[in-house]
Amino acid sequence: MAGLIFDPDEHGELFSAYLDGELTPEELTVVGELLDGDEEAIDDFRSIQSIRKTLQLLPEFEVPAALLPDGHLGDRLSAYLDGELVTLEHRRVTKHLVDCADCRAELQELDRARIAVRSLPGVETTMTSEIHATPAPHRRRRIVAGGIGAAAAAALLVGLAVGGGDEPVFILDDLETHHVARASAEPGFAVLPPAIQVAAP
Amino acid sequence: MTDELAPTWEDVAHRYGRKIYNFAYRLTGNPDDAADLVQEVLLRVRKGLPSYQPGSFDGWLWRITRNAFLDGIRKKKRRPESALPEGDHHALGSSPSPDEVLASIRLSDDVQSALLKLPYEFREAVVLCDVVGLAYDEIAEATDVPVGTVRSRIHRGRKLLREMLTWPV
Repeated sequence: MAGLIFDPDEHGELFSAYLDGELTPEELTVVGELLDGDEEAIDDFRSIQSIRKTLQLLPEFEVPAALLPDGHLGDRLSAYLDGELVTLEHRRVTKHLVDCADCRAELQELDRARIAVRSLPGVETTMTSEIHATPAPHRRRRIVAGGIGAAAAAALLVGLAVGGGDEPVFILDDLETHHVARASAEPGFAVLPPAIQVAAP
Repeated sequence: MTDELAPTWEDVAHRYGRKIYNFAYRLTGNPDDAADLVQEVLLRVRKGLPSYQPGSFDGWLWRITRNAFLDGIRKKKRRPESALPEGDHHALGSSPSPDEVLASIRLSDDVQSALLKLPYEFREAVVLCDVVGLAYDEIAEATDVPVGTVRSRIHRGRKLLREMLTWPV
């Protein structure tokens, strides 16, 4: 107390900041003195406490899920190959590629696959279209493309097996975790022509 | 790996999307405006992350959020105008009991209406503090004013709300 007289204009702000844990030690002492038996100060303090609590208890709204990304890499790898990523993601990927020979090799193969797909006659490829192709191990020269559907949530297997003779010239497989690629097909596009050749590295 | 830098924009979206949405909702009382703001902020975050300098991420993000919000207001030239319902202001006890806390939740529409009647600076400070949960220094960084101003605005905002909601003094 020590002669401290409560002034709502002067001290109310201290109560507010006290409740938010934003006071200096000196101010804390003042608040302690004000609340020591001064009914008017105590009432003021409690009313601020009530309104603060009411605001904090306002129900929280859920943000509509459509506004948030789905968490998958999606077309970012293709966008990366196309030089479309100018965000930090690009730097992160680049940095990783410098350190990781496996990923560099993966990227080269992916790039060849992209070039191969782009060179297909009569098939348009875009960043948003997808090929989902899984090669049958004993049926080279054939690539079956199917829809992705619900499997989009899972790691995608992408395979391209093209080449002559019995030796597969080019295979992409198991692009799980940080090696996600999406291959694509428009509806009605089921089998790639067997004549596509990709030179071995 | 040494590439643990700033979060990706997807991280930001998932970690902060809900807070940003609620921030805008409480400032405007309008879910469509809140959704617009989330989209705009995420877009700006995506563009801005490459130039983000490590520091107070919250301060950076909420400054972006606040600026996007104000830009949206300027574009739409919208002024929220929502009258408080007459005769529907229940008084809470001077010390909140569980019943009174429940009553305060039922009052949320009234509180929302009262928030919309606050001057923008006070409303923003109160929402950033009590709804978003930022510290005073983070609010100061986001709103580009000194901490003392933040403190004053929060208190004045709460006082005005108290008066509008006929809080007992």
